[in-house]
Amino acid sequence: MRSQVHAIAALLFGLASPAVLSGQQPNPDRNAYFGETHLHTSWSLDAWLFGNRVTDPGDAYKYFQGQPIKHPLGYEIKIETPLDWAGVTDHSEYVGVIRLANDPTSSLSKLPAAQPLVMKNDSPAEVQRIFEYGVKVLMGGPPIPSLMSPEVAGTVWQQNTALANAANKPGRFTAFCSYEWTSMPNSMNLHRNIFFKDCGKLPTMPFSALNSQHPEDLWAWMDGQRSAGNELLAISHNANLSDGRMYPTEVDSRGRPIDAAYADSRTRNERLIEIKQIKGTSETHPLLSPNDEFAGYEIMSVLLGDPVGRIPHIVGSYSRQALKDGIAMQSTLGFNPFKFGFGAAADAHNSATPYRQSNFFGGHGVADGTIERRMSGYNFSGIDVRTESPAGLTGAWAEENTRASIFEAMKRRETFAVSGPHIKVRFFGGWGYTAQILAGKDWVKQGYAKGVPMGSDLPPSAGKAPTFIVWAVKDPTSGNLDRIQIIKGWTMNGQSFERVFDVAWAGNRRPDKWTGVVGPIGNTVNLETAAYTNTIGAVELKKVWTDPEFDSTQHAFYYARVLEIPTPRWTTIQAKQLGIAPPDVVASTIQERAWSSPIWYTPSAEARSGAKPGTTVADLVKQGAKALSSEEIAALIVHQSVWLENTVTGDKYQIIYGASGPGKDTTPLTPSDPGYVTGQFAANQGQFRLKYVGSKMRLPSLMGDAAAASRLGVTRPYFINDGKIVTELGGTPISITVYKLGDKYYGARSNEFGYANYMMVPAVQLLDPIGIPPGSGKAP
Amino acid sequence: MVPMKRILHEPLLHFLLLGAILFGLFRFFQPADGRGASSRRIVLSLEDLMQPAQLFQAQWRRPPTADEFNSMVENRVREEVLYREALAMGLDVDDEIVRRRMAQKMEFLSEDVTESYEPSADTLRAWFARHADQFAEPQRLSFRHLYFSPDRRGPRTELDAQRALARISGQPEATPLGEALADPFMYQDYYRDQTEETLSREFGPGFAHAVEGLPSGSWQGPVQSGLGWHLVFVDASIPGRPAAYENVEAEVRTAWLAEQKKIGWEKAYKAMRAKYTVLIPDVPAAAPAAATAPPPPVGEDP
Repeated sequence: MRSQVHAIAALLFGLASPAVLSGQQPNPDRNAYFGETHLHTSWSLDAWLFGNRVTDPGDAYKYFQGQPIKHPLGYEIKIETPLDWAGVTDHSEYVGVIRLANDPTSSLSKLPAAQPLVMKNDSPAEVQRIFEYGVKVLMGGPPIPSLMSPEVAGTVWQQNTALANAANKPGRFTAFCSYEWTSMPNSMNLHRNIFFKDCGKLPTMPFSALNSQHPEDLWAWMDGQRSAGNELLAISHNANLSDGRMYPTEVDSRGRPIDAAYADSRTRNERLIEIKQIKGTSETHPLLSPNDEFAGYEIMSVLLGDPVGRIPHIVGSYSRQALKDGIAMQSTLGFNPFKFGFGAAADAHNSATPYRQSNFFGGHGVADGTIERRMSGYNFSGIDVRTESPAGLTGAWAEENTRASIFEAMKRRETFAVSGPHIKVRFFGGWGYTAQILAGKDWVKQGYAKGVPMGSDLPPSAGKAPTFIVWAVKDPTSGNLDRIQIIKGWTMNGQSFERVFDVAWAGNRRPDKWTGVVGPIGNTVNLETAAYTNTIGAVELKKVWTDPEFDSTQHAFYYARVLEIPTPRWTTIQAKQLGIAPPDVVASTIQERAWSSPIWYTPSAEARSGAKPGTTVADLVKQGAKALSSEEIAALIVHQSVWLENTVTGDKYQIIYGASGPGKDTTPLTPSDPGYVTGQFAANQGQFRLKYVGSKMRLPSLMGDAAAASRLGVTRPYFINDGKIVTELGGTPISITVYKLGDKYYGARSNEFGYANYMMVPAVQLLDPIGIPPGSGKAP
Repeated sequence: MVPMKRILHEPLLHFLLLGAILFGLFRFFQPADGRGASSRRIVLSLEDLMQPAQLFQAQWRRPPTADEFNSMVENRVREEVLYREALAMGLDVDDEIVRRRMAQKMEFLSEDVTESYEPSADTLRAWFARHADQFAEPQRLSFRHLYFSPDRRGPRTELDAQRALARISGQPEATPLGEALADPFMYQDYYRDQTEETLSREFGPGFAHAVEGLPSGSWQGPVQSGLGWHLVFVDASIPGRPAAYENVEAEVRTAWLAEQKKIGWEKAYKAMRAKYTVLIPDVPAAAPAAATAPPPPVGEDP
């Protein structure tokens, strides 16, 4: 009887297949499956040192499916919302070695090479000693063959595979065979997680950083595996800890120029990146995205192991800049090494990880496992543990919950990242979506049929401007949604640009008439009670959006970012529990978020032919231009105020190059001399100041917050070295070569791929002409 | 009296027999007394040489050079030479590592024996029948719901849902009026055979729990979820029940095998243990101070 009712109901309403939830049948419209791609157990050398001595990948898979397990400190931990899939990624380097070194019955513990790993006692100092040995000698030094015996590593690898196979239940929970390649030359984090499509053709041993620290070698090995029928992909992580070496634009890890072969190899193998995890966000940084008011999210700029005297570089450490550089390189050099999708993960070392602010139990065993230690700002390997964040997750749009289906989603980059809550986001791009499409029940089908999903290239141009469908639904157990934004990056003549568009938002806020920016949603967080309410924000947001600034001649990319309403950060919640003030080193409230993988637009050859040609250095030289020497540059700019035009955007502004320090000048200066202060600097040290830069000016990459600098009068240093004006952004040098052709001067910035996009121009009188001639009678 | 045929089908018997054969074979091929190092000839098989070469190839993605290959061979020889010399010097006696390794090997042998045994479908079914509770399926619900969206209705949402319920109360599951009163839902309007866990992921745990307690066959609510308010018509509620054998056969097989390994090993160990007389010192019942005086040994007869 009941089954009859059931069948009739299904017939009557013609409803979507219930398999969507139960995962029994493949869904052609694809489901969002949330999974973990980065987790360590006691088998990882560092995890063992953090006190994780017992739990293995089998325990991790139990945790992900909702069973409680034990934190290394002995208390019970349970996941908030169980996951659909996961891959445990223990470090392949010396996997299992430290456990055996400290097992007096193992033969490995008798080896001289293992002695530095034997803990003499359980004191923090001893743990720190071995941790540093691990980072410096094991990860940073030459391989130690006696600790790499296949009897150890091979056996652990086989056990890893067996545990993944045991946890893998097609349709219900997917467990991948995976590991972490832990390359960290000179404390620069170049780590990648490797995921195999199935576990049937695994290599005897994983390719570890002991085989090679060079990502190029890893990709070559992966190519070899793939051609042997063993499909796999890499996910890079913590670009923010890479000292600027995750996304190089000039040379690879061996100092060879980045070329098409590098780009192909990288893009073929490295399909995704982790945009957020416990150790910070790698989307972007306020220094790189000064006009993105939500850029300063869970920033962590450190180097692991805390090498003394080293300041991590920001340039080269964030993915949005890499996406911009990638299309600039595609446009100027013909190849794009940075074409990746987004995921997020944990990188926790407890065989488990928290995903919520309300459940933060740390990620590094004893280092952050108690509230007292966390909230005391325990300083561990250069990280103030209060700056750690709950883990993110990767959402994969797949037909069914199986290894093959989820792997294919990752491979085609149809993934999105969330900062922790299970926010769902869809993103389609095409040329024919109508504004009404979202009213229909079959809009997802239409999205696929008439365009492409996240992670893809837009089909060839078939309209004036591309149209995007974006949709997001909140996690039912988390904060409401504030807004959906679309982040666009584009490139012209070697310069790259970005803009953040607010496209859908909660409530009846009106976007600013001129900028389109939607104001803040408000904040319900009570810092004393560490509570918030869902009285603001939306459950679901959706929109069909057309790029209002589209230029068919320019390479571009688009991705969606979804923001929750402000909620209390875990440090605020735990400060309340302890009755202390929320810490001053982190934000007290945050906006959890989701990021879709990008969709790329590549102009056809025909569209490119319509582009306004730019000026390349090669063109100038061919026409007889000469590069100025250091002396000629000094004569031209030092102690001068020059006007420049960015010939790509047409914007004009002034740079004041102040007096350069004279070094050991013999002339004594009086306090009223202009050079009295600068005279105390060494030779060739000067400051420059930007003027007349507005916040709406389209600034190319790596200019810093030029509008604020212009408004506030903030200066930065410049030097003249080897025929170049050298400035810096966050410690990364950016140089300008000056060319003279006839009586004109051109500047070529070192990060603009061979273009000379700046021209010295006469002083400008009307800074921002409004197009109304004086005396026309419109205003007094 | 147990029929002979049944005994022959007893898996345990198979283990014991197979085990006996394997242990026997193992002993036969091992030199009866390696300590004497009777032979001074070292014979390597082709496989002995190829295994390290293949490993090298897998790790370095190229075959070893002649020099590298020769040194691998020499390493293998060196290991054998040192092993035999060590045996000759009696280094294996009273060595903690050797003892543990050999004890472990016995256990592995027993596991291998179990692994090689293929249970019959009847065996598995019978075992499943005794352990059905391990494979029980949770309660499953099928329901239709009407959604009231806080995005559209704001603070009136719950009230709107209550009013709608008053109007459709007593109506059948298919209610055009209800649909007209409610808002479009972003996922499904009808959910079939859902467990509390899957519903928790889609709606939040509060809703999942509340819906499990609703009576079936009428419109109920409003129930709040993490997404808004709902009126719910449960049309089928299947209580938790044992799984059908066909659906869980693979899991049953794994669980059965794990149990057999344990039983097999325990039996085998018990049989071996029975051959020994063990003398254990009497552990003093009282204070740790008593540990200073060594207690007299007591005998234990098998």
